[in-house]
Amino acid sequence: MTQYYTRFFSLAFVLILLQILIFDHINLFGFSNPAVYLIILIVYRLTQDQFGFIFIGFGVGMTLDLLTQTAGAHSIACVSTAFLRPLISRFSFGANFDQPNAMFTGTLLTNRILYLFLMIIVHQLIFVFVAYFNMAHFWIIFKHTFSNTLFSLILIAATINLLQSKK
Amino acid sequence: MQWVLNAIIRYKNFLLYLFLLSISLFFSGTQSEYHHNQLGKTSLFFAGIIHQPFSNLSSYLDLTKENKRLQRENNLLKNFVLNKLNDEELLALKEKNIEKSTYWSLPAKLIRNSFTKSKNVLLLDKGEQDGVMREMGVIGTKGIIGIVNQTSQSYATVLSILNLDLKINARFKNSNVFGSLYWPGESPSIMQLADISVINPVSVGDTLVTGGMSAYFPEGIPLGTISKVERPENDGYYDIEVKLINNMTDIKYVYVIGNNDRTEIIELTQ
Repeated sequence: MTQYYTRFFSLAFVLILLQILIFDHINLFGFSNPAVYLIILIVYRLTQDQFGFIFIGFGVGMTLDLLTQTAGAHSIACVSTAFLRPLISRFSFGANFDQPNAMFTGTLLTNRILYLFLMIIVHQLIFVFVAYFNMAHFWIIFKHTFSNTLFSLILIAATINLLQSKK
Repeated sequence: MQWVLNAIIRYKNFLLYLFLLSISLFFSGTQSEYHHNQLGKTSLFFAGIIHQPFSNLSSYLDLTKENKRLQRENNLLKNFVLNKLNDEELLALKEKNIEKSTYWSLPAKLIRNSFTKSKNVLLLDKGEQDGVMREMGVIGTKGIIGIVNQTSQSYATVLSILNLDLKINARFKNSNVFGSLYWPGESPSIMQLADISVINPVSVGDTLVTGGMSAYFPEGIPLGTISKVERPENDGYYDIEVKLINNMTDIKYVYVIGNNDRTEIIELTQ
């Protein structure tokens, strides 16, 4: 278990660095940036205690808030996604929701894509909504959520595929 | 008592979520007063340390482009001096004690730019030890960039003009009509000008400059040009779209503007 946490936190550290130094500066179409760091919340074992996982979500969000001066938006989005993850995994994987590495083995590809999509869209919707916090900006919120979700989905799916083939 | 404990254990995840969400909301709620946050300086310190090496690398790779830009800027200033000032005026300018002038500028480098968020915050490589203080104006080669929001010893954050919380006092270059320039949150090159009454003549192509009504910026720094004007039927004010002169997506070097009379102005206006 210690080995798992060492690997997990090393991955988290690398992903946060990559996010703030590279992925936050891609600006596809002038406004869209992928949230690749969400891999941290996606690949964390589904069978681990959720209490600790909510803390991890908060820690990841707060670190990003402090390093990118977004003051709260990442924390709220990450802690909410961590809290809602059991619901999302049950909805996506059905009877297989208790597979520890459901993103890698023992589940159907369609279920994995659905899980990925829901995790990303829930996070992005909360993140963009908190950042703008005004329904007068509804179309901007919609546009950013939609484009960031699609962009993140492609990159995260590719990265997870890479991690999977390494395993 | 037992049932209370049972309920806490049963709903511990939900309670933890509410607790951490409250902390995040509190953190988010203090955003407009961000500089009051105790965490601010620590976060600025680490953000600076992480972004500085990568900024240095990208500056090195952009040196050729940057040299050409500086050459153009020098050429422009040289032309200005050659055309505007005769020898006596130049001599007087040299002899003038710089301490007595109202505004002074400090060159700085942006080590993190941001223009895709709703509240864009930029990071400068100059801080308190260089004389940068909160609420100083920041300008680029062509126009204004933002206002210093928070400082540490070696770094400072700047509220970009592409920030939903910021409004800039603006004036038409050729008249004394004043309005408020703000970012509607969409394109990084388009701003909105508010509070311009329909009794004033406004046309596409008019230039906007800073109004000089605040202590942040001197009067007359270019802001942008009017790109679209609409006159609503039942409203006494125009809907005006302004195209920024500065390209906010491509900024590397900026100037922090200090105002020697700032304290006096603030004391008088309070």
